[in-house]
Amino acid sequence: MNRSNPPLLLRVLRQPELFPGLPVSSQDLILRQARRTHLLGRLAAIFQEKGLLEHLRPRVNNHLISAFNLAQEDRRMLTWEVNRVGRALWNTGLKIILLKGGAYVFLDLSMAKGRHVADLDILMEPKDFPLIEARMAEHGWKQANLHPYDQRYYREWMHELPPLRHRIRMTELDIHHTILPRTSRLQPDPRLLFTAAQEVPGNPMLKTLAPTDLVIHAAVHLFHDNDFDKGLRGLLDLDGLLDHWAGDAAFWEQLLPRARLLDLVRPLSYALYFCQTLLESPIPKATMEQIAAEPQAPGRVARGIMKQLVTRIMTPGDPDRLEFSSWLAWSLLYIRSHWLRMPPGMLVSHLTQKGLRRWRFDVRNRRIV
Amino acid sequence: MNIGQLSPKELGHHLQSGGLRWVIGPFVIHLRSHVPDFPEYLHKFYGENQLLMPPWNDIADFHLTLNPPLGLRRYWRPKVHFRLDGNAFFTPFPLDHAPPLFEWGLNMAIAARCNHWLLLHAAVLEKNGVALVLPGTPGAGKSTLCAALALQGFRLLSDEFGLYCPQQKCFLANPRPIGLKNESIDVIRAFNSQAVLGQEYPNTRKGTVSYLQPPALSVHNAHIGATPAWIVFPTFIDNQPTCLEKLPQAESFMRLAANAFNYETMGVIGFECVTDIVQHSLAMQLRFGRLEEAVTLLQDLTQSTRPIPET
Repeated sequence: MNRSNPPLLLRVLRQPELFPGLPVSSQDLILRQARRTHLLGRLAAIFQEKGLLEHLRPRVNNHLISAFNLAQEDRRMLTWEVNRVGRALWNTGLKIILLKGGAYVFLDLSMAKGRHVADLDILMEPKDFPLIEARMAEHGWKQANLHPYDQRYYREWMHELPPLRHRIRMTELDIHHTILPRTSRLQPDPRLLFTAAQEVPGNPMLKTLAPTDLVIHAAVHLFHDNDFDKGLRGLLDLDGLLDHWAGDAAFWEQLLPRARLLDLVRPLSYALYFCQTLLESPIPKATMEQIAAEPQAPGRVARGIMKQLVTRIMTPGDPDRLEFSSWLAWSLLYIRSHWLRMPPGMLVSHLTQKGLRRWRFDVRNRRIV
Repeated sequence: MNIGQLSPKELGHHLQSGGLRWVIGPFVIHLRSHVPDFPEYLHKFYGENQLLMPPWNDIADFHLTLNPPLGLRRYWRPKVHFRLDGNAFFTPFPLDHAPPLFEWGLNMAIAARCNHWLLLHAAVLEKNGVALVLPGTPGAGKSTLCAALALQGFRLLSDEFGLYCPQQKCFLANPRPIGLKNESIDVIRAFNSQAVLGQEYPNTRKGTVSYLQPPALSVHNAHIGATPAWIVFPTFIDNQPTCLEKLPQAESFMRLAANAFNYETMGVIGFECVTDIVQHSLAMQLRFGRLEEAVTLLQDLTQSTRPIPET
């Protein structure tokens, strides 16, 4: 299949006004690609903001509204889960730091409208884990029946506890203690994140990361962890965050020094680079120049390779078939994320353990854009 | 043009090249398939449906494929996969069970993507211009009752999905072949000798399944919706006397909300839809042991053009 350049879905995300004038076959393709990249609800919200929904074919409108309603349900779920976690931890004196989707919703960012969410992620201090785990168990959250290897994998090496699931609502809760695995190449100091976290206005129990840290966390999640399955959505999150603070000079002044302090310049540099090239995010020229000159920033070769792979992964092709180049790019990025995740010796042992169990179903049937 | 105006061979040709696009009520289906006998099934059970020809002036709601897997599984115990936008969300079926896989796959696709309407798990039929809704749990006799009523001249809106449109405040027709299971197959054959049933598919996960052709008139009128007038919750209890009794509005509300696939997803709109339906309908509970008795009772019930619901 020929890929238009830039791909249609990206073009419409940048300029939604183009959509109503596109030929019906292009509209069809965009809906399918947006659905596959978990962005159909978001697309609906963008069209709604621009007042475009009324100008669309009823059939196109139906699919957008349907996806938007599903996203609204996700949002209700998320809000309610936050309420329930708050109740479980009531009068412990603990503050709940919302990560990712939870933060975007409680900060009421426009990029959270129509955004699909699967679970709630929170950041808590490890010293409080025994109390938190006890309270969660009292209030109906259970650990999934994990393989002993997975238990150990989470407890010793990861940046989160094994996921909890509520036994009645079946919703998933991930409790993190930092934003990257303990075994990862990059080791930001989580205390910096905790001290800078800001209270959610009108909600004394809730906090979110500081604005710069929200962006850095989203960048780390996308470019240092293995979240390329939802790659384009992750990039759109970053674009939404950057756009939200676009006019805030103090934010831009603090962003790079903050990334240096957290030792996360490299993922941030990828984030800014791809947001600018693929989504034309509003990033000051000075920031782009400064970050390119950083010693930690990727060199020409690394950036060239990443550009090929990431662009391939972020630009969905024919929804009906898996293209070899997508598969290849996805596999290489998957390997890269594991390489960054743990030292080589541990990686070999981990892949041997997981490989046989996982490869058979999960990886082979994984959706690839 | 209708599907039936093409021969199975021509249908097969379309299915194997760019795919076949046709209309089922509010939906446009786009299907590509290499399954050898599937064109015959389409020809027989979707013969009255409108076929779409290029150039397309609208999108398709569902891009589906129904194909045998690649490689050796094509020959050794051959299977068939159903995919929606390239994603398989069913385990494969044996190749000769392609029609039930298609029907259930399409059900799944509709259930996943129609959250702009309230989706009841119900058979819906029209009599005198208004709708009779039969919400069902599996085994309640919903499909059997629906098939019998459709054969008695009720217009079939749907055997599986009550699609309630919040804007138009009516049920949308999406008539498709009615899937009859196990004993129901012979019950319907005995009920009406004119019933056009297809081959039986044994050992599916719902037992033996056979499809009943939807009435041609129902398919031709699938663009016409119907506002709700009667809600009847059927329960089949073998060898028990048949009785029809009124349900209080509050109870019918709760039962209808629980019956919807997407009541919670729809949020406020879901609540308003169920309220609308309940306020404009007479809600009844039907216990039946014999199909003929149930059909007679429902025919009597729907004699009047519109019931006056209790307020």
